[in-house]
Amino acid sequence: MDFDWMKVPYALLTLFIVFNFGLLQTALIQKIAARVGRRHGIPVWQNYIDLIKNYGQRSSITHGVMFYLGPVFRLSGGVGLLLFVPSLYGSEMFSNFSFAGDLILALYFVFFGTLGMALGAGESGHPHAAIGVSRGLAQVTAAELPFALAVFSVALQYQTLSVTEIVAAQQGGFLNWTVFTNPLAVTAAMLSFLGSMMRPPFDVVLAPQEIPIGPPTEYHSSYLALMQTNRAIFPVAKIVIYMNLFFGGATIWPEFFLKVFCIYLWSAFVGVVFPRFRVEQSIRWFLIWAVPIGVLSILIL
Amino acid sequence: MVNALFIIAAALAAAFLLGLLKEQWRGAAYAVTLVALGFMTWISADWAWAFAMNGAAPVDIFTAGTEPPFAINLRMGRPEAVLTLIVNLTGLLSALAMKDALLALGRRAMAVLLVATMAFCGIILTRDIFNLFVFFELAAISTAGLILLSDDDRALSAGFKYLIVSQVISVFLLIGIIFAYHATGTLNIDGMADAAQALLPGGMQAFALAFFLMFMALVAELKPFPANGWALDIYESAHPAYSAIFSAAAGTASLYAVDKLLLIGGAAWLPAATGIGIVTFVGANLLALPQTKDRRLLGYSSVAQIGLILAVLGQRDVLGDLTSFIALGLLVAHSVAKAGLYWLSGLIAGRELTAWAALRGHPLMVFAFATFLCLLVGLPPFPGFYAKWELARVLAAEGRLALLAAILFGALVEAGYLFRWFGHAIKRDKPAEEISCAPFSVAAVCIAVVAGWALGLLWGEMAGFLFGRSNLLLALPLLFALAFLLLDFLPAWLKNTLAIAGLAGFFALTWTEYDPLRLIFAIIFTLGGAIVLLASFSAHGRRIGFYPAAMLMYAGMVMLIRATDTFDFFAAWELLTVGSYFLILRGKHSEPHALSYLVFSLGGAFLILMGFALAAGSGVSPRLTFDIASLSQLAQPVAPWVFLLLAIGFMTKTAAIGLHIWLPGAHAEAETDVSPMVSGILLKAGLYGLFVLLMSMGKQQLYGVELTTLMLWIGALTALLGNLMAIFQEDAKRLLAYSSIGQMGYALFGLALMNHLGWLMALMFVINHYIYKSMLFLAVGGVAKRTGTRAMYQMGGLITLMPLSFIAVLIGIIAMSGVPPLSGFGGRWIFYNAILDTDQRLPMIILFFSGPIAFLYLFRLIHTIFLGQLKDEHRKLKEAPFWVVVPQMIYVVLLLAFAVVPGIALRRVDEYMNQFFPEGGLDWSGLLITSNYGYWNPVAIMIIVGCIFMTLFGWLLFVNRRAQKVKQFNIVFAAERPYRPETTHFAWNFFAPYRKALGFLVQPFATRFWDAVTGSLHAAADFTRRFYTGNGQTYAIQLVGFVVVVFLLARGI
Amino acid sequence: MIAYLAMATGFLLILIGFYGALTNRNLLRMIVAFTIADSGVNLVIVAVGYMRGRTAPILDATVPAADAAARIIDPVPQALVLTAIVIGVGVTALMLAYAYRLYEKKRSLDIAKFMDLKW
Repeated sequence: MDFDWMKVPYALLTLFIVFNFGLLQTALIQKIAARVGRRHGIPVWQNYIDLIKNYGQRSSITHGVMFYLGPVFRLSGGVGLLLFVPSLYGSEMFSNFSFAGDLILALYFVFFGTLGMALGAGESGHPHAAIGVSRGLAQVTAAELPFALAVFSVALQYQTLSVTEIVAAQQGGFLNWTVFTNPLAVTAAMLSFLGSMMRPPFDVVLAPQEIPIGPPTEYHSSYLALMQTNRAIFPVAKIVIYMNLFFGGATIWPEFFLKVFCIYLWSAFVGVVFPRFRVEQSIRWFLIWAVPIGVLSILIL
Repeated sequence: MVNALFIIAAALAAAFLLGLLKEQWRGAAYAVTLVALGFMTWISADWAWAFAMNGAAPVDIFTAGTEPPFAINLRMGRPEAVLTLIVNLTGLLSALAMKDALLALGRRAMAVLLVATMAFCGIILTRDIFNLFVFFELAAISTAGLILLSDDDRALSAGFKYLIVSQVISVFLLIGIIFAYHATGTLNIDGMADAAQALLPGGMQAFALAFFLMFMALVAELKPFPANGWALDIYESAHPAYSAIFSAAAGTASLYAVDKLLLIGGAAWLPAATGIGIVTFVGANLLALPQTKDRRLLGYSSVAQIGLILAVLGQRDVLGDLTSFIALGLLVAHSVAKAGLYWLSGLIAGRELTAWAALRGHPLMVFAFATFLCLLVGLPPFPGFYAKWELARVLAAEGRLALLAAILFGALVEAGYLFRWFGHAIKRDKPAEEISCAPFSVAAVCIAVVAGWALGLLWGEMAGFLFGRSNLLLALPLLFALAFLLLDFLPAWLKNTLAIAGLAGFFALTWTEYDPLRLIFAIIFTLGGAIVLLASFSAHGRRIGFYPAAMLMYAGMVMLIRATDTFDFFAAWELLTVGSYFLILRGKHSEPHALSYLVFSLGGAFLILMGFALAAGSGVSPRLTFDIASLSQLAQPVAPWVFLLLAIGFMTKTAAIGLHIWLPGAHAEAETDVSPMVSGILLKAGLYGLFVLLMSMGKQQLYGVELTTLMLWIGALTALLGNLMAIFQEDAKRLLAYSSIGQMGYALFGLALMNHLGWLMALMFVINHYIYKSMLFLAVGGVAKRTGTRAMYQMGGLITLMPLSFIAVLIGIIAMSGVPPLSGFGGRWIFYNAILDTDQRLPMIILFFSGPIAFLYLFRLIHTIFLGQLKDEHRKLKEAPFWVVVPQMIYVVLLLAFAVVPGIALRRVDEYMNQFFPEGGLDWSGLLITSNYGYWNPVAIMIIVGCIFMTLFGWLLFVNRRAQKVKQFNIVFAAERPYRPETTHFAWNFFAPYRKALGFLVQPFATRFWDAVTGSLHAAADFTRRFYTGNGQTYAIQLVGFVVVVFLLARGI
Repeated sequence: MIAYLAMATGFLLILIGFYGALTNRNLLRMIVAFTIADSGVNLVIVAVGYMRGRTAPILDATVPAADAAARIIDPVPQALVLTAIVIGVGVTALMLAYAYRLYEKKRSLDIAKFMDLKW
């Protein structure tokens, strides 16, 4: 196989851009959320400070091999997800490693990090970690369903599973975006989106009051730093898929930043308004409100 | 050849001679008896040999030097020779089996035994109707005499009840005879038959009444349900060796008498025989369900079997020349099995079914028991199997489906209670009293076993002669499996080596003969089986019974993929079913589960039989054998029904929802190395069946419903509910078992999509499921072996103690969940591409939902066992046994290889499928796999993921090189130390919220439904059998009532 | 006429016998009832073989062998009756023996007392 080695530095460049954008964006969103609650909030560079602090911490323990590998899995999942999807449409430079697989690869690779992380947390032996994982897995089964339906609907609509081709089909004016050509699918997907962003009302996985921060309870210092890095990259990587499937993708970085931020803001917007659901409540909510819309989007296509 | 009259003469002479002996010379008397019986047996055998080998002509024996109708004549023909052989042999062996009783009672008892045997032979030989009556009376008197041999006090009352009934019978018979004589002017059966044809209508009516009385009298001798309470009492209380005669010899003689009588009655009376027969077969089998006493159970079964044969005789009009092949097949199977079982029961002290657990520890006797049961149920390679097949074929061809269904239902019920009994024998507590080892009785049992297998061989030859089939018993795989019966004395490791060599060798010999699809299955069945068998090296001792059962299963599977015609296919199907049943039954607590497996599997098999029979009878290819490939030529309206029957049959094996309830217990309770065999390998037999079915029949519509669409829904629901049920299991192996149900749902779904990629997806699941489920079952089994429990919440933290098992489980769950870069992803990718090609969108949604649910149980599996808190009692555990780990590591390698280069297995099959679906295949150029919709490059994915992972890992190692390992309880626990691992390990009821949200979906509806079915059958049977009050008078009234009812019904018809 | 009378009597006896055997609970009475039924059967058989105006099938001086076929009644039913009687005696004897043993066992002749085996 002849591999274009230039793809590697380009991919690293994407990674670098997204990493910094992600750090700033999460901080900004947090600040917005704080302001809604009439609090002052953190400075936008707070994430950089935390990251440097965590990498600098000297005390470090391990509970075993899986515990050690957990954050590695987690971050590999985030990075991989980002790199298996083209970031900018029409740009050879930022098409990343999308030659390796199509949309389905991205969808299933989401679970790579989650699973590894859950295993690492499990080995810590902390019950809160296990409780968090149990809640997270239970919730994700229902939350992912509308998204899967939406993806299927979109794939049927465009008769392809290739992300690039889906974006290509949406070019030529914003009315060609899936959100306008297939609004039901996008509605279902955006409801599902709420469930995967770890924000209220679907943040029972981390539930700071009952099971302090859930699965990552035992993680600290450089482990935590790795996971924080992922926390900056992963949401963006995920939103990129949404952007590509439903909102016409992006051809230049400013468009990319704007669209990603707006989509992210949607979850923050809902999050500051609603209180937290218990697991079974959120499962029911997704099955009752989001799934039928997704089903409808498939049936009337 | 000796004149057949000497059978009668020898018995009488010996009986007289016995009278001359001194009372004390019991040994001598016994010797005389045996010699006489032996001589009689020899005469019959000699004749039978002459008829079979030299084609001798039937011989009529004229008594009193005159020809009929002026004197009685006897006939020795082909059927007579065989039947008297059965009778005489039963008599001889029973004499062996009841040696003690005979010696205790002396020469009179022996004389009575001789007279009884002679009377039964007489019934068979005579061609004179009144002579028939005389022999029947002789039989009745001697029976009443022999009943007294029993040391059971209750036999006395049974004998009296019998005498009452036989009085009633003889009145009917005599009246019938005299009026029949009056009408026809002869007592000779053949003469009467001829004369009856020539009767005028007026005379005909009178004659019909006379015939009816004779017919009912002889039928009553067959103990028809429900007029048979007296016979059941005899079966239960008589000496078991006499019950053997009563069941085998008396049944044989009476059946032949009825057969002769039907010669007179002609076709008009055949429906009556069928009706009585089938009612008896079904009724007696149902009433046998609640029995707990062995001999009474056997009595019910005898009654049922004789009823079945009567029904077959009644089908003479359509069976034609096959009647004797079928009836004789059923008869010899019944006689040998029933006699053998009664002799066996004579060795056992207790009368409860559970008392047969005494057989355990006597492999030969267990083998005998199993042989008799298989003979009785009609499993291959025994005569009953051939008979069942031909019977089904003809009945379906003639459109007598209700009768066929009733026969199969009765047979299923019979198999149910017989194998439940076998389960008791293998699994229940061994009673204090050992079995008696009286050499003569044991010899009788052993001869019956040999006879059973010899008959299997003989019927195979006959089927070859009649239908051009190859002899099942001589099929190489089956012979190989049976050879392990003889080798069972060898140590387990040696047998294991042989078994592995056999499987691998067979593959090496035959692999060029398969098409690409079959090759995949062949690899899984043979090489896959060999890999799983590696784990069996961890077993110690001799492991009696394991290898014959396992190899029988493998033989069945190999024969299945090699079968080209429906008969071979069905035979292989039953072989693998029965082999796996014996295998599953070996689990410690698997008694009820093995039974439910067998009943479901046989039920499914009977549906398959019906389907094949319907297909063969549809006239597409009017031949005796029906190729599987000919299924494609079937037309409306038969085709969809055939499809439906076959599909349900195969789906029973793949545990489609509703038919799944046998699987969890059967797979979970099986031994460590058996679970992967029955899950990883055996389930694929069902999928293979579905592949074959869909390849040959394609889409079928029934009342406008597309049947493959129905399968699509079933597949989707199975996937969802299987997965859902898996997440609520506390038992690791049960979790895996439910997961198999879900996985089979996926495969079924893929097949039912009826497009190129759907089938490829199903095949991907076949391969993947074999690898990871075998691996996971072995890993979990190894852990369970070490921890002594299968409850996951009792484990925890085993990762450091059992790292290899952990790795296997880790790889297994990543693969099964479909996360890239392992091979499960390929399955999901093909799935998404496949569903884009179909119009059925709703079932997809269910499948979308079930996908992520797999994560729940998979995480639970690995977390609760290997992660979390290590328990104090497990701190010193070792890694699973070496030989259990070896195959797991092989699977890890296989899984990784299959993940990187799926093309090695799939590419050729992909091409092969072009002949069914030319559209929608994959493109395999280079390393990239492309479909119409998307693309996928497994190698690139593996490399990219690997690089990212290794880079980040290196980075973490660099920044975190000083990390130190801390102790178990060193966690952030509100500044306290946890109290105990048990309370800190969050494991039990892991997904409680999920149950709250969706628990209503996993209510055990199917279990409740099947429980209700079996429960109501049992309750109905238990209620109905109270009708046998035990009062001899009531029994006589029932008999009279039975005659009246049949009379009214016959008039009505 | 006489044949019909005999036959009707025979059937009546059979019915009486059956009625007696199926309603009397005493073993001995049942046996007696069966004997009555047996007699009825024998009577019926003989009646069937009867031919008006013919003589017994005994070949002696009065019935020469030459014209026997035209003068004697059918000998077969009579032969059958003889056999049936013999057998009937045997069965009755056996039943009586049984009744005796049963009585010894339970000190009762009531058939309803011997219901240990059932269902």
